[in-house]
Amino acid sequence: MINWGKVWSDFFIVLALTSNVGFIFSHDPYQLVIAITVNLIATVLKFGAKKILSAEMLATALVADLHLIPATILYFTGIHVPLAIGLAVGAAVANIISIVFLIIEIIFEYKREEEEF
Amino acid sequence: MGFKKKKKIPHYGKVKPKNYRAIYEEKFYNVLLKLRWPLMVVIFTTGMGVLSLMIINNKTDGKSVLNYLFHIVISISTVGYTEGYSGNIEANRLFSIIFLMIAFPLAYLYGLVATVQVFLQSDIANIYRYWRMYKAMEKLHGHYIICNFDEITKEVIKNLRKRGIKVVLIEPDKSKEPQIRNFGIEYYVFDEPYKRSVLLGVGIEKAKGLVSAFEENTQDLSVIVTARLIRPDKDEFYIIATATNEGAAEKMKLLGANEVIVPSVTIGRRISSLVLHPPSPTISRFMEQIAYGERTDIDIIEIKIPEGSPLIGKTLKDIKMRQETGATIVAIIRKDGKMKIAPSGNTIIEEGDSLLILGHPKALRRAEEFFEEYEEEMKEKMEEVEVE
Repeated sequence: MINWGKVWSDFFIVLALTSNVGFIFSHDPYQLVIAITVNLIATVLKFGAKKILSAEMLATALVADLHLIPATILYFTGIHVPLAIGLAVGAAVANIISIVFLIIEIIFEYKREEEEF
Repeated sequence: MGFKKKKKIPHYGKVKPKNYRAIYEEKFYNVLLKLRWPLMVVIFTTGMGVLSLMIINNKTDGKSVLNYLFHIVISISTVGYTEGYSGNIEANRLFSIIFLMIAFPLAYLYGLVATVQVFLQSDIANIYRYWRMYKAMEKLHGHYIICNFDEITKEVIKNLRKRGIKVVLIEPDKSKEPQIRNFGIEYYVFDEPYKRSVLLGVGIEKAKGLVSAFEENTQDLSVIVTARLIRPDKDEFYIIATATNEGAAEKMKLLGANEVIVPSVTIGRRISSLVLHPPSPTISRFMEQIAYGERTDIDIIEIKIPEGSPLIGKTLKDIKMRQETGATIVAIIRKDGKMKIAPSGNTIIEEGDSLLILGHPKALRRAEEFFEEYEEEMKEKMEEVEVE
């Protein structure tokens, strides 16, 4: 059986990275709005998860948010657009780390399932 | 979580201490967990709304985007001061109608209302209070564990508090929570004290002693046995209990209690002593206050003179304890149990004596150090002899 709760959270974690990278290459305002929305949702979905790396996952998601929120303000005010792009790159790095943690967690889950049998 | 090293537990069995702090952390995580979906819906609707307005108006400059965000937020929250767009009114209003039809039930009725509800129902302040209490409790050492909250232990806690001794209360009955809070007890858990995990959870391994004062002897017995199995040394860990009769008191002592008090016997003796010695208001009250530790400015201690102590054979005048510490030797109890009250300066200290010393707690602490120094001196001398 597919765990649909996990599908949702994994979906948004991966989408956070892809939309973020999309903005870095396109510099498009629509893409930026999508990226920040998806990143915020990915953060909220990590709330209260009681798994092995839940604290680290939440931390990386908050890092990504704290990069993207100033990036959005800087981009739309037009004060310092290159810095906005730079911040988005930083957010993308945080998202990549988040995905690495996700993979580690999946491996541990499998290991634990094996132990239970 | 999950990666903690397996520590060797020194007591018997493989029972893990109950982690009270983690229980309340878990409760807090559960509150956050309930917020996931409502918050996600609110963020999603806001993001999609802003994006749609950007597409409809084909404007991506900062001012317009801020206005769109404003428009969406006041729409979702049903405040609606004004419209956040200027041109292309018809298309925007058409979008707003459709958007609100979806956003109002989803983001407002489900998202925002559920968020507020979670905060109101989950009692976050209480969770935080307990969490902070148990976090501080983990750092306690040298404290006393007191089982059961009743009139006897209330008196115990009151007197220990005066002396600045920390206590942790274990009470099986959760309904006593308001009384316990009103009484101002700093640390308390609601649990069964005869469980090993509970006693370990309140730090029995670092505690100085335990008081068990249940009305039922069986409950006291189970607590005493459990505690004594974890802390087998009677000198290091002090267990005091109450019993309803002498027979039960004897059993409790055999099973590990240091002292057992039978309330009816104690009260009867007190009454009879009052009958036999009609109380002088000042003297008996003074003695009582010292004996029951009611006065915080005066206390009494007992110092034993060990075998081979350099003090043996010296007179009280010679050791000059009063001049150095400020405490007074009020009585000497000889090895054979004879008591010498108010000994003169020429009294000679003998082997196996117990000195009763009266004074201010600070002076008594100095006196203890004073005698410790003598003991160390003795040990050094003994070592020297061994080397030779």
